[in-house]
Amino acid sequence: MTGPDVAWYVAVAAVLFGIGALGVLIRRNTLVVLLSLELMLNAGNLALIALSRHFHNGAGQIFALAVMAVAASEVCVGLGLVVALNRRHLSLDVDTLSELKG
Amino acid sequence: MILASAGNVVVWMVWVVAAFSCLGSGVAVISFSNPFFSALALIGNLASLAVMYLLLNAEFVAAAQVLVYAGAVVVMFLFVIAYVGPRRETPWSGGPSWQTVGAVAAAGALLVEIVVAVGMQANGSLHSDGKVGAAFGTPAWIGRVFLVDHLLAFEITSVVLLIAAVGGVILGSHSQRGTAR
Amino acid sequence: MTGGSWLCLLAPLGGTILILLGGTKIPRVAAAWIATTSVFVAFGGAVWAFFGVRSAPTNVGLGIVSPFPARGEITTAWTWLASGHFSVGLQLLVDPLSAVMMLIVSGVGGLIVLYSIGYMDGDEEERRYFAYISFFVFSMLLLVEGGNLLLLLVGWGLVGLSSYLLIGFWHERPSAVRAAKKAFVMNAFGDAAMALAFFILIAHTSSLSFGVLDFGLSTTQANLVALGLLGGAAAKSAQIPLQTWLPDAMEGPTPVSALIHAATMVTAGVYLIARTHPIFEQARTIELIAAGTGALTLLVAGLIALVQTDIKRVIAYSTMSQIGYMFLGAGVGAYANGMFHLMTHAFFKALLFMTAGLAIHALAGEQDIRNMRGLGKLMPFTKWCFLAGALALVGIPPFSGFFSKDSIVASAAALGTWYGWIFWVCGIAGAFLTGLYTFRLWFLVFPGEPSPFVREHHHDHHGREGAWTMLVPVGVLAVLATVGGWLQWSPQWHPFTDWLAPAAQTLTVAEPTSTQEYLTSAATVLAGLAGIALAWAIYSERRVEVPAAPFWRRTLEHKFYFDELYDRLFYAPGAWAASFLRREFEEPVVLQTGRDLGETTLATGGLVRRIQTGLLRTYVLFLAAGAAGLVLAFLIAK
Repeated sequence: MTGPDVAWYVAVAAVLFGIGALGVLIRRNTLVVLLSLELMLNAGNLALIALSRHFHNGAGQIFALAVMAVAASEVCVGLGLVVALNRRHLSLDVDTLSELKG
Repeated sequence: MILASAGNVVVWMVWVVAAFSCLGSGVAVISFSNPFFSALALIGNLASLAVMYLLLNAEFVAAAQVLVYAGAVVVMFLFVIAYVGPRRETPWSGGPSWQTVGAVAAAGALLVEIVVAVGMQANGSLHSDGKVGAAFGTPAWIGRVFLVDHLLAFEITSVVLLIAAVGGVILGSHSQRGTAR
Repeated sequence: MTGGSWLCLLAPLGGTILILLGGTKIPRVAAAWIATTSVFVAFGGAVWAFFGVRSAPTNVGLGIVSPFPARGEITTAWTWLASGHFSVGLQLLVDPLSAVMMLIVSGVGGLIVLYSIGYMDGDEEERRYFAYISFFVFSMLLLVEGGNLLLLLVGWGLVGLSSYLLIGFWHERPSAVRAAKKAFVMNAFGDAAMALAFFILIAHTSSLSFGVLDFGLSTTQANLVALGLLGGAAAKSAQIPLQTWLPDAMEGPTPVSALIHAATMVTAGVYLIARTHPIFEQARTIELIAAGTGALTLLVAGLIALVQTDIKRVIAYSTMSQIGYMFLGAGVGAYANGMFHLMTHAFFKALLFMTAGLAIHALAGEQDIRNMRGLGKLMPFTKWCFLAGALALVGIPPFSGFFSKDSIVASAAALGTWYGWIFWVCGIAGAFLTGLYTFRLWFLVFPGEPSPFVREHHHDHHGREGAWTMLVPVGVLAVLATVGGWLQWSPQWHPFTDWLAPAAQTLTVAEPTSTQEYLTSAATVLAGLAGIALAWAIYSERRVEVPAAPFWRRTLEHKFYFDELYDRLFYAPGAWAASFLRREFEEPVVLQTGRDLGETTLATGGLVRRIQTGLLRTYVLFLAAGAAGLVLAFLIAK
């Protein structure tokens, strides 16, 4: 069974990464920023798995699984922050959370 | 030969559908103004990615993708979004104009650079020859590789997860005390 | 034998640790008795070691060469440090020389610590005192027992430290703190000189065992090593030109003066010369310089002692003078005579300090002898004990000083060379000075009717002259000062010299004939008696006026201007250079650089803080831009 070259997969991953980065950079809703981060992580995963297939090396898949675990951790903490913000009746707009201004 | 090329065409078609739904749902994630729909779009994105993983002989990762991501992570997102409720005070985007311009420029630059890099590196060499062992990507194989060759990575990952869980609990409990005051 | 040496060394250390750990949990009296007991236990160990050496065979002539001692034993506990070919063990040496020193240090030390119980009674920080003093005894025993030069240097440094701590014991007195610093700094010169000598030894023989002194060095190297050792010895023993710290060291408690600055530590220089005599014999010139230093010091110190008015300072200068005799003896090659004088001196000088301490104690801390006239009537025991010490110091037979001092002067005569006769004349003149200043002290303090000052301030201790802990050691030392010298009378019997012969054989050039001995004895005794007679005439009967000679009087009162000279030579240029560098270098360069650095950092920070918008998305943008830039760089590099 053959299909598109690995290069195509990697291209999709690159575009997906760009979309995710754009979301993180442009959107102001904390939740959507977190979702866009997930997109970026998944783009990375796709590239890992595609190249793992190409090089016949299982380490890429292992690494993808580790990235999924890290993504889950990140969501856990990120959503914890969102809940905490909400409890304190703070805005979820990332631009208003600027107390670290120098 | 005909059968093989017919299989080839089917694979291509599946791939095209998966790739486009992947990119489309990605765009949807960042463009819905309601985060609830964004999260739903993310499910579509994850599912189409899982299809591509299957095409790449990564059955276990595909299954984990659906179970862990779509089943757990996105559900958690949906819970939190429902908990927070429809809050309209956050504008879609905005801020300083150079921020938006810079964002588009940086994301575009990254995209172009990656594509160029892949193209240069590929040079025709990045093609799957289809010759992988039957065991490649199966749960048994993954399990052996994960728990024999990469045991340390496995353990570290588990510790990271544990720490994140503890962190989430602490963030929640602290905020409760904060409101009590 | 070796068990005795370890017991002797470790008992005082154990006492120190016990007192330190006990802290305020143990009563003061207990601290005092712990220290005393530990030092007496050390004396027991010393006796054990002494008898061990006595029954040990003499190795001389058996073909055993260095590093084995000629008689006795070296024990190594473990290898203390090893670096390449250079390795030093934690080893103790027990031989006739160290056995004698162990007996003196722990015996006289025990008596003096016992005496301190009464003397220090009621002091706020008694426990600290006793911890220090037993630590001193440990350090001194390490010095004399150390089985190699490095351990000797360790002991050497530790006695300097304990001397510093004890001189400055009354730390609320600025003068005591100053004196302690002075002693420490002066001794540091000597320590540095010794360390340099050891570096030369390590460089050329890669060993610091006593055996390396016998061979393997060229004449120049031997001279340098001997010179370094002499520097250390002169600093520790307060010989010219490093003598100025000793009189100031009298700021410490009187038992400290008796133990450290009379009986034991300051005589360590003599021990050092005797211990390292092989190197001094290879560098005979340096050895004679040591003798000359001793001769000069004994005269200068004797002269200065004539005009001092503080009872302890008079005795301190007499100590310097007597150590001058010991240097003279050891320097001409009569090591046993020097060591013998060291022993008798430990007896009678400790006795003098302790009787002076009784007087000071009874007069509520008064130390000026001009106020003390007639004290003898109120304190007869003190008076007679002091007289025994004074006669021993002057060297009147049958008191101990006679036997030890005369043989040193006779050894100088035995050289027969011109400098030998100069040393001889110095020795005789020194005996005259000793008689004069000692009995000046005696006639000013003890005989006659008590002065009004004495009547007003004198108070006794429950009807006695002091606590029994103070009187018993004084009595014991008075007996020792009287009969201690009978051990040896060089022309007739000399067991002490024979005893030391395996460790430090007297050079044949320094062995006087019997005639020289008798003549020298007669001369020194006559000179001493003349000094006593003159003191009697001036200070008791007042038949002779003190010669006016204001120039000489002023010179002596200023101690030959040594302190002023060192001030001009070392302190003033140092202080000037420091203030110059502060004004010209530190202020404009160091401090200004610091200020400029701070201001620049602040200004840069003010600029950079604008980047810190606090907006998360801006930071992410920087991240993305950075990543894009990096990827671009890699692409171009590819």
